[in-house]
Amino acid sequence: MYRIRFHGRGGQGMKTASRILGTAFFLEGFEVQDAQRYGAERRGAPIFAYVRASREPIKERGIIQRPDLVIVADDTLLLIDAPGVLKGMTPQSVLLLNSEEEPKMWKDRLNFSGAVFALPDVQDLKEPTEQLHIGTVCAAAGARFVGVISQKTLKQAIQDELDILGNQIVEENLEQALRVYDLMEAYAGKIKPSSEPAVADYPDPAWIEMPYEDARISAPAIHAAATSLKNPTGLWRTLRPVIDYDRCHRCSSICSTFCPENAISVNENGYPQIDYQHCKGCLLCMEQCPHHAIESSLEHTKTLESDKGDEI
Amino acid sequence: MKETTFKSLKNLSTDHLLASGTAICAGCGGLEAVKIMYDILGKNTVFVNSAGCMTLLSVYPFTPFQGSWLYTAMACAPAGAQGIRDALDVLLNKGRIQPEEDLKVVVLSGDGSSYGMALSATSAAMDRNLDFFYLCYDNEGYGNTGHQSSPATPHAARTATNSGPFGYPGYKKDLFAIWTAHKPAYAATIIGSEPLDLARKVEKAMSLKGPKMFIALAPCPTGWHFDPRETVEIGKLAVKTGIWPLKEYLDGKVIHTKPPRRRIPVEEYLKKQGRFAHLFSPQRDTKQLEEIQARIDEYWAEAI
Ligand SMILES: Cc1ncc(C[n+]2csc(CCOP(=O)(O)OP(=O)(O)O)c2C)c(N)n1
Ligand code: SF4
Ligand code: SF4
Ligand code: SF4
Ligand SMILES: [Mg+2]
Repeated sequence: MYRIRFHGRGGQGMKTASRILGTAFFLEGFEVQDAQRYGAERRGAPIFAYVRASREPIKERGIIQRPDLVIVADDTLLLIDAPGVLKGMTPQSVLLLNSEEEPKMWKDRLNFSGAVFALPDVQDLKEPTEQLHIGTVCAAAGARFVGVISQKTLKQAIQDELDILGNQIVEENLEQALRVYDLMEAYAGKIKPSSEPAVADYPDPAWIEMPYEDARISAPAIHAAATSLKNPTGLWRTLRPVIDYDRCHRCSSICSTFCPENAISVNENGYPQIDYQHCKGCLLCMEQCPHHAIESSLEHTKTLESDKGDEI
Repeated sequence: MKETTFKSLKNLSTDHLLASGTAICAGCGGLEAVKIMYDILGKNTVFVNSAGCMTLLSVYPFTPFQGSWLYTAMACAPAGAQGIRDALDVLLNKGRIQPEEDLKVVVLSGDGSSYGMALSATSAAMDRNLDFFYLCYDNEGYGNTGHQSSPATPHAARTATNSGPFGYPGYKKDLFAIWTAHKPAYAATIIGSEPLDLARKVEKAMSLKGPKMFIALAPCPTGWHFDPRETVEIGKLAVKTGIWPLKEYLDGKVIHTKPPRRRIPVEEYLKKQGRFAHLFSPQRDTKQLEEIQARIDEYWAEAI
């Protein structure tokens, strides 16, 4: 069986990638499962999708625990735990990255024992979320790595899956996908089907025994206010709003009123401050600031550790 | 009625009650309206939320609220509100809570729920003159399930269920007219991009007893296909083009609170949104565009 997992951010087309690859396998005569991990599949949020394909009936269910190939559309996901990109990877697994950095750098930094490759020349790397065809490109790369999907089949799968988006979008995607498929010829068959582990090979799940509780205790009631602050939604951000305090007029805090996230507070001197732990990077504040005191920069080049907010 | 405390944006609180860290999309216009409204209602508020995008606000064990929140099925948030109001009244009567501990009961529902499934329960709540607030955040579709058409979807918009070349064939239902036919204590249309208008209306409603009904147009980057940074701009255009009239109903009369002085063509609003892209390319659909404009002109000709 082939087990392939796609990691990206909401809006990058990881679900589409899994569908294209799944359809391509299917057209080649495989049994296929493809699915997106349900959850907060919001734009910018870390998400993943996966594909299983086999010549035999597939008995495995649920999310892929031991991937043969993991394709990552946005390398900032590697820096944080939450998306679980490396989860279940073994020395036999392969990691394929959309990154400006060298694969070797990632291999060392992640201390990963398997092989690491980079997608070739995916346009001149702007923001990963602005690479319009990255989902299709990831699917094409996956098709190449498994080596059992022909160019013709890949083309058909892309057409089938993207058809409703109209001709022009299909054509653009085909061009990018087939280019990458051709460039990666040397990787054909790098991924070999792995066997399905027997039940006994699976580690026992980490069960926790829960005593039967009275309904008042076991009901899902929350007894504290504003607990959502524990969720670091700043991870969703691909673009970062930055306030230039020299230009800020401390106006009546237009930015603080409009920010849907409540990520802009106003300090005692009347200056707005952005909470980077939670700001999702919609940039609506930047658009609305009447004094153009907010600019955006690529999150890509920042490390998340520096998210302390600006002191003024 | 006393004068408003909201004379300029400076009067709005910058110490917001609704906490960050929710799973709502970046740049959500619905969340913006909820956040601003919550600041005015204050923390003694309980939300009764029917299934939809906003139910992602509170996902156990996380909540952005300062107080209680109750999840209901799509058709019955007003019935949930009735139950909570009754329970609060019992507690008040028995002296188990003091009047200053009383809570404002607020229904929080989407348009799929408000314009459709929950109409009957809403009508019944107004018939019983239930003392509550109702906020319908109207993103003009079934947002949480992938933006299928709802009875609030505007004519010609593309949705997951009307993805063909013509978009949604129906016309947006006039929920404000349906609601006001019940003669509630108060009803208004609002939008997050006009926070002062919103604040004044909520403030006014707070002085009244009975059903206080709000519909907030909720620009939705995900379902309407636009860049999240444009949420406020698109909201402002909805008002300036006259496609979203800001109005209120009080004592049997409807007043437009922010009639556009010189209405700009509705195209300016439509062309910013991917759901209307087929009206502009590959070629301009002049017929549809003229029809949409004509309906707005007709509305305003009757309104003033
Ligand atoms: C009776 C019922 N039918 C279907 C659903 C599935 N469902 C959950 S949210 C939703 C969309 C609701 O649309 P709307 O009220 O406009 O809220 P939005 O998602 O747009 O915020 C649907 C159909 C449900 N929860 N209950
Ligand atoms: S809107 Fe602009 S000028 Fe006004 S407080 Fe915010 S950053 Fe400063
Ligand atoms: S980009 Fe600005 S408006 Fe958007 S969440 Fe961040 S601080 Fe708020
Ligand atoms: S789908 Fe639209 S309404 Fe729903 S959370 Fe996202 S932006 Fe808000
Ligand atoms: Mg809706």
